[in-house]
Amino acid sequence: MPITIIAPKPAQQRYAAPQDSPDASDSEEGDDLSEGGADLEGDISMGHRPAKKARTDGKYEIVTPGEVITDDPQWMRGHGTYVSPAATSIISSVAGTVTRTNKLLSVRPLRARYTPEVGDLVVGRIVEVQAKRWRVDVGSTQLASLPLSAINLPGGILRRRTDTDELQIRTFFAEGDLLVAEVQQLYQDGGAVLHTRSLKYGKLRNGIFVAVSGMGGGGGVVRSRRQVWTLDAANGGGQIDIVLGVNGYVWISKHVEPVLAEDQKTTPTTAGPITNAPTTTGITNLEESVSATMYSSQNDRIEVETMREIARLRGVITALVENGLRVDEDMVMKGYHEAVEMALTYGEGGQDDVYLGGERGEQLAAVLRGR
Amino acid sequence: MSSQHVLLSPAELSYLHASLSLQPLPLRPDGRSPTQFRPLVAETGILPGTNGSARICFADGTEAIVGVKAEVERTVQPFTQDTQTTQDEGETPAEDERRKEEVGGSDWVEMTVEIPGYRDDDPTTVFLGQMLQEALLADGEFTKRLRINGRFHWKIYLDILLISPPLSYPLPLLSLTTHLALLSARLPRLKSEGDEDPLFDDDWAASTYVYPRDNNKKDGKDGNNKVVARPPVTLLVMAVGNNIIFDPAREELAVADVALAVSVGEETTTTTTQTGGDDDVDMEEGSTPGKRRLRLLSVRTIDPPSRLTPPGVPNATNTAYTAPTGTAEAKTQDGARTLETERVEGVWKAPRGGAKVMVMAALVAKVLEKGGVADEVLDGLEAVDLG
Amino acid sequence: MPLDTSSYSLALLRVDGRRWNELRRINAQIRTQAAADGSSYLEMGHTKVMCVVTGPSEPFGPARVGRTGAGAGATAGASGGEAGVVVSIVVAGFSSVDRKRRGRGDKRIQELQSTISSALAASLHTHLFPHSTISISLHVLSQDGSLLAALINAATLACVDAGIPMTDYVAACTAGSTSTYAANDESADPLLDLNHQEEQELPGLTVATLGDSDRVAVLVCESRVQVSRLEGMLAVGVDGCKQVRAILDRVVRDKGRKMVQEGTVQKGVGLEDMEVD
Repeated sequence: MPITIIAPKPAQQRYAAPQDSPDASDSEEGDDLSEGGADLEGDISMGHRPAKKARTDGKYEIVTPGEVITDDPQWMRGHGTYVSPAATSIISSVAGTVTRTNKLLSVRPLRARYTPEVGDLVVGRIVEVQAKRWRVDVGSTQLASLPLSAINLPGGILRRRTDTDELQIRTFFAEGDLLVAEVQQLYQDGGAVLHTRSLKYGKLRNGIFVAVSGMGGGGGVVRSRRQVWTLDAANGGGQIDIVLGVNGYVWISKHVEPVLAEDQKTTPTTAGPITNAPTTTGITNLEESVSATMYSSQNDRIEVETMREIARLRGVITALVENGLRVDEDMVMKGYHEAVEMALTYGEGGQDDVYLGGERGEQLAAVLRGR
Repeated sequence: MSSQHVLLSPAELSYLHASLSLQPLPLRPDGRSPTQFRPLVAETGILPGTNGSARICFADGTEAIVGVKAEVERTVQPFTQDTQTTQDEGETPAEDERRKEEVGGSDWVEMTVEIPGYRDDDPTTVFLGQMLQEALLADGEFTKRLRINGRFHWKIYLDILLISPPLSYPLPLLSLTTHLALLSARLPRLKSEGDEDPLFDDDWAASTYVYPRDNNKKDGKDGNNKVVARPPVTLLVMAVGNNIIFDPAREELAVADVALAVSVGEETTTTTTQTGGDDDVDMEEGSTPGKRRLRLLSVRTIDPPSRLTPPGVPNATNTAYTAPTGTAEAKTQDGARTLETERVEGVWKAPRGGAKVMVMAALVAKVLEKGGVADEVLDGLEAVDLG
Repeated sequence: MPLDTSSYSLALLRVDGRRWNELRRINAQIRTQAAADGSSYLEMGHTKVMCVVTGPSEPFGPARVGRTGAGAGATAGASGGEAGVVVSIVVAGFSSVDRKRRGRGDKRIQELQSTISSALAASLHTHLFPHSTISISLHVLSQDGSLLAALINAATLACVDAGIPMTDYVAACTAGSTSTYAANDESADPLLDLNHQEEQELPGLTVATLGDSDRVAVLVCESRVQVSRLEGMLAVGVDGCKQVRAILDRVVRDKGRKMVQEGTVQKGVGLEDMEVD
């Protein structure tokens, strides 16, 4: 069936003018119309009506922009709030749920762009190369920057940065390249500075990218215990790495063991003019050989089975997001196992069983919600 | 025309290309089968102020709305005495004019495309509009329906709005939405006769569809009534290696060797012979009555963005791969040579040169296949409840 | 067809059967589009508009070049210290009774764009997003009067959906008067929320206020009216804005509550608990 057409959702309930509020339509109803023009009395009373609403079922209630959260001066305002210049009351500036940390009140929006925080693991894409730094799209309100000084240079951590490196900046990362990095610090204006000074970070290859909504609210990737893990895929898919960037960018790739210096000579990828890698072992050498593949944009050989499982994982993550579920290790793993089981019921269809769009996605989400 | 700028890393491109060119079947990133479309939500008749309207949302969040408006317009009289549409078959000079009058002019349809973030004279927008209009006008079937009498015709305005930012190449979305809007389009019933000034029935319930349904089932409530003729539909098809893929998503299009926009129409069963344009190829021989006869209306190549992507650097030439500082120079030169000549596995290389004729032919054949994609898409769209 | 205002004084009902101070039916939704940062759909009577918000985001690559080159939309706010608010309006050719196409360069549309842009920039906390752009794309699907008001309301909803901090909702509606300028009728009554027919014939204004306060954010009057009538019209308009705000707020709350119930958003702490702390 090449085309799936879903019927639109039934129309939403309509909103008539509110009858409970003391608006003109009620209070002035019986009045002589010649007085209608001077409706100012009503207006003034409206102006003094407190913005605070009666919260009947506070359990699921949210605050909306302009709503007074508290008049109590003991609280401090956090994100998503502001203090009116005249009074001390803390007012919400977004629609969302209230959180508090000690005396700090903030509002978590229902949905927003990713807001970087120091220590976040993010997946980003280089969009601009400048003289001594890269500009990286991390799905935030601003581009993040990655200074040349914040990356591991090939040939060992302790190597000095030279002018040559500056000239060859594109050989490390060029426009379009994907990387995994950590937020090192934040500028005053909220811009993030990244670093890749760890063997866990660096350029991404051997896999596929998917962008979902990130840590801002409204589903998507959430901050959790582990953002990066390796799983043993079903159906002979081998090992697969998943990187859930806190910013909602996800990378799913084949797991590759770091190539050691000894092996390097024999691997076909390095066959060619450069086989002069040092054969001595040692800690510096290990780093050297790991860093050897650090800026490679050549994929290793990937088996069909691995590709299929990677596609399935991508389907799981997309289905989670489309159905408003959070994305973390737990949910992805559960979803994946469920998807593998579900695939069995689709019969020996072969290719088709990887597909998780439309109804299948909803089915999957329903199962996960049920748990 | 470059269809869209995509920013993907060479490693991603290489992976996508590898998985899409797998034999016997490609593996698409979202797991769809090669002929499968993205699931979509469709509804028609959303705007009471129009003659016909439709809205389609893809699951990825792209959304389009199309509205059809019709106005009565005086037909420009051809410079000829014989304005009567008689059935004489003489090859007179008036013949051409007469045909034009029957078939209608291309100026009877006005189409506009609006894409957020693009100007309306942007090449992308203009090209999309042209493609859709061309498909609609190619066989003259559509404008024939707009004729009121010898002196008047309907002028159709098609306004196509892409609501969301263009996340993927919007052609299939816009075409499907336009198709639905035209299917749901209705014109008031004509009360006057002959060539007198047209007079219409005020009753909207009595209006007729531009594309009339089968009259076997008079009752419109049935919901099962079959449309005999249908507006054309333009499908986006691409090829990677020997695999043919329908409705490519953005990242798939980014590694396409060739991408085609194929417009397919349906031949009405009533007409016997068609004097088609140059593009017309009747793919079907000896069709059974009652079965749909598909005809190819137009083919356009879309410049896939893959040609503009920078190539990946093989490890062998990557100075950052292992950078013993001294040898960097020598390596670059060696590398430059490798880059020109051979294709390294796992390294992205943008497709060069034109598409193979065989591949193009296979693409078109695949679309027109009996019981194939175009057939099923038309069936699927037919099932949409025409509000 | 001229609007028959004579019957009004008899039955005190307007052409569409409303009383002088009644809003038309408002139907609104937020999050109509999964892919966008924020989106909304709003109906005020038969005026139907859609809004999609992208950003705040820092433009890069061809988008940056394209946007400035295209010059599509009006910008408010400085580019350096705070986010710019770019509004672009597409009026569909099929939106009015007679098909009419308005180009991007249309003066009227440009004016609408800059009005909405500056109104929202005043309420949105753009200083939190330096170097960024908030682009608001509005589509008019059907027109039946009060277009500017509907556009402002839809844009506000979409910005709330996008989670962009703001001082308060910017809610808008129109107000008019029961008799024409020429009639010079001192006893003319104000009208709330004009439809297309009324808008053509009677004097009217569009007013937008910031939340529940009486602070007027937008006031546009494009018709001739005696100054003595203006006060009454404005008062009714401001009052209408409050009703509109309540409706918009309900739309957001309903959606928010649903999201919290479904577990998409984590529950917040009850505000009542907080007080005892």
